[in-house]
Amino acid sequence: MNLLPLIVVVPLIMAIIFSYIYRSKYVRSLTLLMALVLLILPFLGTYGPYFFGGHGITFIEGIPLVSGILYTLNPLKEILLFTLMLIGSLVLILSTKEKNLSGVFTSLVLMGLASVSAVILTEDLFNLYVFYEIAAIAQAGLVILAGTENAYRSAFKYLLVGTMAGSILLLGVGLLLSATGTLNIGDMGRYLALNPLTPTVYGGLLMLIVGLAYGGGLPPFHTLKVDLYARAKPFVSAILQTYSKFVLIALMLVILKLFGNLPIFNTIRGVLIALSVIAMVFGTVMALLQEDYRKLLAYHTISQGGYVALGLALGTPLGIVAGIFHGINHALYKSALFIGAHIVDKVRSSDMRKVGGLLLTIPIVAFLMLFAKFASIGIPPFNGFQSKLLLAEAVMGANIPELVVLMLIVSIGTFLYMMKAFYLIFLKPCGEEQLKEYRDVKISKYHIFSLGLLVVLCLILGVYPDIVLDRLYPIGEEIGISWVLR
Amino acid sequence: MDLQLASFITAGALVVLGLYGFFFVDNVIKKIIALSIISNSVNLTLVAMGYKEGGYVPIYIPTVEFQIFSKEMAYPLPQALVLTNIVIGASMLAVMLALSIVFYKKYKTLKTSVILKED
Repeated sequence: MNLLPLIVVVPLIMAIIFSYIYRSKYVRSLTLLMALVLLILPFLGTYGPYFFGGHGITFIEGIPLVSGILYTLNPLKEILLFTLMLIGSLVLILSTKEKNLSGVFTSLVLMGLASVSAVILTEDLFNLYVFYEIAAIAQAGLVILAGTENAYRSAFKYLLVGTMAGSILLLGVGLLLSATGTLNIGDMGRYLALNPLTPTVYGGLLMLIVGLAYGGGLPPFHTLKVDLYARAKPFVSAILQTYSKFVLIALMLVILKLFGNLPIFNTIRGVLIALSVIAMVFGTVMALLQEDYRKLLAYHTISQGGYVALGLALGTPLGIVAGIFHGINHALYKSALFIGAHIVDKVRSSDMRKVGGLLLTIPIVAFLMLFAKFASIGIPPFNGFQSKLLLAEAVMGANIPELVVLMLIVSIGTFLYMMKAFYLIFLKPCGEEQLKEYRDVKISKYHIFSLGLLVVLCLILGVYPDIVLDRLYPIGEEIGISWVLR
Repeated sequence: MDLQLASFITAGALVVLGLYGFFFVDNVIKKIIALSIISNSVNLTLVAMGYKEGGYVPIYIPTVEFQIFSKEMAYPLPQALVLTNIVIGASMLAVMLALSIVFYKKYKTLKTSVILKED
């Protein structure tokens, strides 16, 4: 029996239940239990399609068409889901150490997990839109729970623009539906490949790209995402950035499946590459200017999102694999960095001008964070190195060496601000009194455990990248189209 | 005038109206209203797409032969989409309105230029 829908249904139902146990002594234990259940979920489904309502495929004049909603699971989706659930589970475990934990927090995290899993799994464009919107609401809700005025403000802005972007995406879905008569991505792709493109399809495509930019945090919507990551509690930002990265990957794959082998994609590719390059450069330049560690990490997320989008926008098999691999790696090391930022914030403040000398107080955390920073910069033997190398290879394969130079410069920029942050937080000399003050703060073992786990995963993926890559290559070959710039 | 064309024109007018409200009106509630107008214009567009001149309502009618019914009925899928979208729109609206209540309590005004100004 295929239990695939449970990946979405279990978190969704539990989200509803948790929202009712608002303030209860059982919230902590139930949240811990839920964190364990999440880790099993990705392995429940079997590879292949799952037809909701058992409608299956109908033949109309000999053409197979999917009727009803279709979910599919393949090795790529499984690894994405596992990463998502792992980080979700760690965030839930960490949340039990927070004061005033309410069921609403767990409920929102679960809602986000369910919706992003559905966005990854679904092969139906409208279903994707529905869960995309739910993910937006869940993200705004998680930021609101930070409880500060700035958090309210950024969540409000995110929702204002989100309603607009959501409407545009829905109109795009509607236009594609009216042009092709189906909502299934596979059927739609086949129809578009066989029939001449009309202005309606172009309109739909443009609107899909707007939706992608909003959901994935690409320009011109990147500042909204930066606000979200910087204003939420840092360990919550870990799951927020995972949501947006995976929505970005899922939507990019949809665009590739629909338009990847059409002549129009040559133009779209230019637009998408331009967007990702702007994200990379803008994120790095802005991160260099930041005094607040959380903001620095937020801008770093945007610049790394540019890498992911660049790989997928290339559309070559290797590019797709590199982009997705970088997305997974980024989700891991960035979560580690955000959890580290949470510990720093707890000890003193995330403002880098106010902290210093933490190396003596929390040496383990300092070294784990240094390793996570190495991973994010792309220093071997960590996973960031493997995916950036693969990405550079893919870009060279498409004969655009200029982009590799740009990637290197961006990596150097990353090195600069990451090391600046490390110096300011851990190495900058500080007085004896301040040190005594720091020593009173207790860091929970959960924080160190989750940070350590993520760093170990970064190391394992850096040494044995084939664990993930072997699962990605077949999908890359299936979706990607080889091309070389002349 | 053709009903479908009229719907599309109305939807276009609503989008323009909504965009004007979203960008140029300095009031949080009015901005939210403008957004909901945009969202409803998209719904109208979707419903109009499924419209068929003189078509049957897409509910199976036993007296009509199935072959004719399947050819002559209006396209039901957009209606299902719109129904779902209304629910999503309502929940988005609820969160935004709740936040505007919080802002109003804090600032005693609904002006966007005051509320959304960074420190």
